[in-house]
Amino acid sequence: MGCSNSGAPAYGEMSWFCCGAAWGPCGSAGGGACGNCNSGSHQCAWPNASAGCFNITRPDQCGESLSRRTCGHVFYVTSQCSGACVSVSIADCGPDTNAFCGERTCCGSACASNRIIDLTPSAYSAIASLSTGLSPVRIDS
Amino acid sequence: MPSPDRRRFLSSAVLGGSAVAGATALGSLAPETAFAAPRIDLDPGARDPNFAEGRITAISGSLLKVSGSDKALHRIYVTHGTSVWKLRPTTFDEIKVGDGLYARGVKMPDGALAADAVWVNIVNMDASITAIDSGRLHLDHHGGKVVGHVVNGTTAAVYNHTPAISDLSGLQVGKHVKVIGAWRPDTNEVDIATVYAGI
Repeated sequence: MGCSNSGAPAYGEMSWFCCGAAWGPCGSAGGGACGNCNSGSHQCAWPNASAGCFNITRPDQCGESLSRRTCGHVFYVTSQCSGACVSVSIADCGPDTNAFCGERTCCGSACASNRIIDLTPSAYSAIASLSTGLSPVRIDS
Repeated sequence: MPSPDRRRFLSSAVLGGSAVAGATALGSLAPETAFAAPRIDLDPGARDPNFAEGRITAISGSLLKVSGSDKALHRIYVTHGTSVWKLRPTTFDEIKVGDGLYARGVKMPDGALAADAVWVNIVNMDASITAIDSGRLHLDHHGGKVVGHVVNGTTAAVYNHTPAISDLSGLQVGKHVKVIGAWRPDTNEVDIATVYAGI
């Protein structure tokens, strides 16, 4: 599998988060739920990385059916804005999907709802500008 | 419209010595071009050699010397083709020693990074609003207190379905927010670019 060729992709919003050694308000972020998260690596946070994680993020309350995928699982994330793709491995739990149920982001005619993945700054910046904060994506496994 | 090949030209020209002047004549990259590259072939989970982060320790001409949070040292070239963000799209002269940054570009043979984009002091915070007063949001960010300053003419709010608007009256104490902003170095304060309000 790879970018845009799996049978059951997920569509939604991506944002970014910092982890590992960092400056500013990120300084206390730590290594994430998997213990190896680092802002300079191509990694992500996934709302269903464990049962405990799911109980916090509750993507189901936004109508999202996201499979359980654990630390190290690889996703291929394709920006609906640029068409660029990056591969990332799960290193943390997040985003807090149910805190933003119904949120919608568009890029031209390509729109997506609900925050379903957070990327590290290095991964996010490979396919979008960090200053956008949010972007619609396709996720393949 | 600049092409990715042109971006590579700008970056590779840095090591030529006259690169910055040469890049001036070509103009800067549009953001959509800078991120129009196809598949990024890097092992998932691997460190990205074309990315750097840390605090700026010195500025020499167009060169930023950066101390990474992991203690790695980076040299980052900023050209007139580099897009610079610091609360808003801005210019090289707004970058100061002590600022934090994330940078993406092309790693050069000498180990320096020729930057396509630099985001200075940018933060993306998950927080809840604990108080609102004149021109400020008081935030709880993972148990720490952060003061978010509203910047007239810049700060915008997004309420779920809405586009970004300058009206912040929909923000409420106790509500969950995400804040894109610029950190004020060595403080617990940020200037707010966009605040995303949850339900």
